[in-house]
Amino acid sequence: MIGLAMAGALVAIGGSLAAVVSRDGRLVALGLLTAMVAAPLASSPEPGYLTMVFRFLGAVLAAYLLWTAARSRSIDSEGTGIGAVSELALAVAAFCVGWFATPVKPLAGPLAAQAAGFALVGLAIVPLTSRNVLRAGTAVAILGLGLNLLLWAWIGPASSLQQIVTTALLVGVVGATSLLMAPAEESDVAADEYDDLDYELEIEPDQHEIEFPDEPTPTLPDPEPTGRARRLGVRESRR
Amino acid sequence: MSLLAFLVACGAGSLFGLALKPSGLLGKLACLAALGSAFVFALLIGAHTTLTIGEVVLKGSQYAGLFLAVATGSSLLLCVLALGAGWPDELAPAALASFAGLAVAITAADSGVALAAGAAAATAGALVIVRAAPDSVGVDGGLAEIRTIGLVAASFLFAGIAVLRPPWSGGSDSPVMVLAFLGIALALAVRSGAVPFHIPASHLGQTGMPFAPALILVWIPAGLGILALSWSAVVFRNGSDWLNATVLLVQVVAIATLVLGGLAAIVHDELDEVVAYSIVADSGFVLLALAARSDAAAEPARLWLLVFVVAKTGLVGWAAAVGRAFGTNNLADLRGWLRRTPLLGVALVVILIATVGWPGGAVFEARASLVRLALPGTMQLLFFASILLTIAYAGRILIIGAFRPGADVAAARSERPRLWHSTPAVVATVVAAADTSGDTSGDTSAETVVDAADLPADPSADSPHAADPSPTPESGRRVPTHVLADLVATWRLNRTLEVSLLVIAGTVLAAVVALGGFGANGASQSGIPMDIAAHATATPTPQPTNSGPPPTEQPTLAPRPNGSGSPAPSGSVKPSATPTPVKTSGPAQGDAG
Repeated sequence: MIGLAMAGALVAIGGSLAAVVSRDGRLVALGLLTAMVAAPLASSPEPGYLTMVFRFLGAVLAAYLLWTAARSRSIDSEGTGIGAVSELALAVAAFCVGWFATPVKPLAGPLAAQAAGFALVGLAIVPLTSRNVLRAGTAVAILGLGLNLLLWAWIGPASSLQQIVTTALLVGVVGATSLLMAPAEESDVAADEYDDLDYELEIEPDQHEIEFPDEPTPTLPDPEPTGRARRLGVRESRR
Repeated sequence: MSLLAFLVACGAGSLFGLALKPSGLLGKLACLAALGSAFVFALLIGAHTTLTIGEVVLKGSQYAGLFLAVATGSSLLLCVLALGAGWPDELAPAALASFAGLAVAITAADSGVALAAGAAAATAGALVIVRAAPDSVGVDGGLAEIRTIGLVAASFLFAGIAVLRPPWSGGSDSPVMVLAFLGIALALAVRSGAVPFHIPASHLGQTGMPFAPALILVWIPAGLGILALSWSAVVFRNGSDWLNATVLLVQVVAIATLVLGGLAAIVHDELDEVVAYSIVADSGFVLLALAARSDAAAEPARLWLLVFVVAKTGLVGWAAAVGRAFGTNNLADLRGWLRRTPLLGVALVVILIATVGWPGGAVFEARASLVRLALPGTMQLLFFASILLTIAYAGRILIIGAFRPGADVAAARSERPRLWHSTPAVVATVVAAADTSGDTSGDTSAETVVDAADLPADPSADSPHAADPSPTPESGRRVPTHVLADLVATWRLNRTLEVSLLVIAGTVLAAVVALGGFGANGASQSGIPMDIAAHATATPTPQPTNSGPPPTEQPTLAPRPNGSGSPAPSGSVKPSATPTPVKTSGPAQGDAG
C-alpha cells in the first residue's frame, strides 16, 4: 500500500510536471496549486491541521494570483523546451537518484520526500534558464518546493513557523511572477503588431506616403501584360 | 509584544496599502500610518523582546530593534518625501512586506526559519519593478528580478539546510558548506548589484519605480547582509582549499565592486545611475565582511549596514528631490543646481560625510576594519581608493552645481522661502490678469493661486518666468483673501524648500548614526539571535591548508580601529562547545524572558 508520504510526493511531482510542461498559464497555475498542496503531505509526521490549512490557503492564494494574471492578460508559458517526454524522463531519473542515493544517513524524514525533492529540483533546472518570466518563476517556485522537501527529508519535519515562512516565500515567488510577467508579454504582443504594420506599409507604400528607403527592396518583375490590359496599355501609349 | 505589533503593523499596512491603492489618499495614509507605527514598535524592540510561535522563539535584540527602526524610519522619511516628489503606489507596501520578513529573519533563533524569511522578504522587490518589458538597451527588468529572487530563495534555503547540519554520509560537510557559502555570497552580490551583476541595478531608473533603488539595492540587501554575516560564522573554521578559492572569488567581486562601482558613479551623467552605482560600490563592504571569515568583521559590518541604510536612503531621496526641483536627472542639464537649491547641496555633503566618515569616526573605522580584515596588506590602499572615488563623484556633482545655471535650472523654483499674502499690488496684478484673460471660472484652488503668485513673489529669481513681468493669461485666477487659502498657497509655494528640508532631516539622521549615535555602536556588538544559533552548531573539522596567515594578521596601511574592530569575538557571540545540535533554536529559548 502506498503511504501518504509517497502519495503526496508523487502528486507533487505530477503537479510540478504539469506546471513545467503546460503552455496555458491557467494550467500552470493549476499544476503549481496541486504541487503546493500535495508537497506538505510528503513530510512525516504530517503537519498539523492548522499548518495544512495555512499551506492550503497559501497555495490557493498563489494559484489565484497566477491564474488572474494569466487570464486577464492572456499570458501563456513557453511550455517545455525539451519536450514533455524528456521532462518526464528527467523527473523519473531524478526521483530514482533520490530514492537510491543516501547523501544523508540516517534520514530524518521519509525517503519519498528526498526522492520527490530531487525530482522537483531536477524539473526546475531547465526552465530556470528560460527567458519567459512565467516559466522562470514557475521553476523558482518548484525549486523552492523541492528544497523544502529535501529539508524535511534530511532535517526532519518543519516547525509551524517554518511552514508559515515557507508558504510566504512560495506565495511571494508566485506573486512576483504574476506581477512581472504581464508587461513583458504585453510588449511581445505590441511588437508583433508593429511587425504586422511594417509589413503592410512595405506592400502598399503609395497609400501611406512613406519615403522609400535608400536601397529599395527587391521586387518581382512586372508580369507581361496580356489580353485587355495589354490593349489598354497600347492605347495609353498612343495618346 | 512589540515584535508582534511590529509584524502586525507591517503586514496590515502592506495589505491595506495595496488594497486601498486605487483610492489614492486613503492608501497613502494607511501606508504612512503603518510605517510610523512600525517605526515606534521597532524602537521598543530590545533584548527582552520575545515572541513564541509554535515551537520557535522570535527573540529581539538591541541591534535587531535598531536596524528595524532605522529601516522603517528611513522609509517613512522617504515616503513623506515622496508625497511631494511623486508618490509610487507600491513602494510603501513593498517596503512594509519586506520589513515584516526581515523582522522575522533577524529575530528567529532557528536558522532555517531565519534564512527562509530572508528569502521571502526579498520577493517584495518585485512590486516596485514596473516596466518589465525590455527597454531600449535590452534589459528585461522583470526577468532579471525573478532570476534574482530565485537565486536568493535557492541559496538561502540551501544554506538553511547546510547550517542545520544533517548527518552527511560522507562524514565531512565541507563541500556542502563551501557550496552554501558560495550561494549566499552570490545571492548577496546579485541582489546588491555588485560587479559584474550590476546591469539590472544600473537600469533601475528605467525598469523600476521612483525610489525603487532604496528598496531593491539598500533595504533588502542590508537585511540579507545581516543574515549572511551571521550564517557565514559556521564556515569560519573550515579551511578547505575550495573554501579559500571561494573566498578569493568573493574578494575579487568585492574589489571590483568597490573600484568599478565608484568609477561608474563618476562617469555616468544620469543621477539615477550615479546613485545606483554609488550604492553598488558601497555594498562591496558587505562582501568584504563575508570574505573576512572572522568574528571581528561582524561588528564593523553591522555598524556599516546601519549607516548604509540611512545614508543611501538619503542619497536616493536627494536624487529624487533634485529631479523634482529641476525636472531633469541629467547632470548636463543640472548646471547651477547648487545655486538654486543650496540646502540640497548641504544634504549631499552630509551624505558624503556620513558615508565616508572621518578618521576616528565610527563609520570610518568600520570601513577600515572591513578592508583590513578581508584583504591582504598590498590591497589596503583600496580603502583610500574607495574614499577618493566617493569624494570624486560627489565633488563632480557639486562642481556642476556651482556653474552658471542652465535653462532648466534657471526656470525652476529655488529654495528661497516665499510667503503668499494677498497684498493689494499682487491682487491687482493677478485680478488684472484674470480680467484680461476673461477667466471667470472662479477656480480658487491653491495650485492655481500659486501659479498666479509665482511671478511677483520671487522677482529676484533669474528665471525666464521671473524676467517676464506680465503674467500669462493661463496664470490669472481669482485671488482668495482668506488666511487659510494664503497658508495653503504658501505651503505649495515653498514645496522645493520643504522637500529639501526633509532630505536634510534624513541626512542628519544618517550623520548621527555614522557618529555611532542612537546606540549604534553598542547595538552593533550585540548581533542577532541567529549569530548564537550559527555559532552553537558544531564547527567543521579543521583541515591543514597551505594558505597564508589569517587575514587578521596582515599588515595594514589603513588606520587601525580603536575598539569597534577589535580582533576579539564581537559582542556576545562566542563559539560554543556544544557537540552536534541539529535544531538550533535552543539557546534563544533559554534566553527568553
